[in-house]
Amino acid sequence: MTVKNSLLAILAQEPTHGYGLKSTFERSTAGTWPLNIGQVYQTLSRLERDGLVAARPADDSARQTWQITEAGRDALNDWYREPVIADPPVRDELAIKVLLAIAADKVDVSDILQTQRTATMERIQELTRHKRKADPESELPWLLMIEALVLKAEAEVKWLDLCEARLAGGAS
Amino acid sequence: MTGAAAPRPAAGAGSTSHPILQLRSVTRVHGEGALAVRALGPLNLDVQRGEFVAVMGPSGSGKSTMLGLAGALDQPNEGTVSVLGHDLATIGAQRLAELRRRVIGYVFQDFNLLPGLSALENVALPLELDGARPRDAWIEARKALEDVQLDHLAARYPDDLSGGEKQRVAVARACVGPRQILLADEPTGALDTVTSDLVMRLMRAQCDAGRTAILVTHDAGHAAWADRILFLRDGRIVDETGRAARDRASRA
Repeated sequence: MTVKNSLLAILAQEPTHGYGLKSTFERSTAGTWPLNIGQVYQTLSRLERDGLVAARPADDSARQTWQITEAGRDALNDWYREPVIADPPVRDELAIKVLLAIAADKVDVSDILQTQRTATMERIQELTRHKRKADPESELPWLLMIEALVLKAEAEVKWLDLCEARLAGGAS
Repeated sequence: MTGAAAPRPAAGAGSTSHPILQLRSVTRVHGEGALAVRALGPLNLDVQRGEFVAVMGPSGSGKSTMLGLAGALDQPNEGTVSVLGHDLATIGAQRLAELRRRVIGYVFQDFNLLPGLSALENVALPLELDGARPRDAWIEARKALEDVQLDHLAARYPDDLSGGEKQRVAVARACVGPRQILLADEPTGALDTVTSDLVMRLMRAQCDAGRTAILVTHDAGHAAWADRILFLRDGRIVDETGRAARDRASRA
């Protein structure tokens, strides 16, 4: 779904050939989501089948260029307007580990929580080192991608803090 | 102990063998007798020159108590606190006061700027209190404001500054002149994400320029700007970042 709609978003800017789609997608996702060219062509042929894109007559470069159709623009607008809800509740290894540790005897839960907290903080430090080097103007997609990862890791640290406070019987 | 010179680093004190700040077997107890509560310790900590250390931990874990001891605002019941190699318990009241004025700068959550003074005058104040001539103090203060990119607002009064600008003035004031150690207690508590990011970049830049900083915070994203993060629980350091990597390196 993400790749399909992302290709529509790029084609809505201007007609593009397969490799152009691949490189534009990778640039706008700051290199965090590599696409292989086979996947791009496979997605394009599905989009064509559904009437969302159309092949343009090959130009003199002999490379096939694709353009978005009116139905494609409608589908894209629907995607932009639809909020993203993380579908099925994530099967989170950390959450399951902690919950099982709490239920188990003779397991030092606070040690598990602290080991995880330290490791997650080291991860955020690493991300922050990248963030320091990112130029907020010329590297905006990269900066925002790092910040998304930082905030997700921060949420994990907050959850670990909460586990500890609840286990200690704290009112928080 | 001879001479009354301000505590300044001895030549070569930047080497890693001399921590700029050292806590040795430090304990801090609040209250007495049956009501005594150990707020901190026993605790050991070495902070090297140029290092940026963050301290995290739940409320009541001793974070602010530790910062107060490191900043010579409080004394331990047991153990020693040394700044620039001077044991704070034995250097005497006068040199202790000098240390607080000339070596250590503090940043608090609520800025603590004087409303009747402009940004420039607020930053210059610690130097003037230390006996600098106003003209010299203003020159230094303007430099400090340039460091936090606020020299264009030097004439503004605190009421006419945003929260983020006030905190940047507070950082400039904490770093002005010869100050080497920056101590910050939840300095971004009242600020939004983009603004507190700016304050963290600023603290980072101060350390990259050779100053030393200790930041107390509950915010993981802010602590992550530090070189080393300490985790406090019930007055003790229970873990710190980088330890696993150091253990691996020492086994290799």
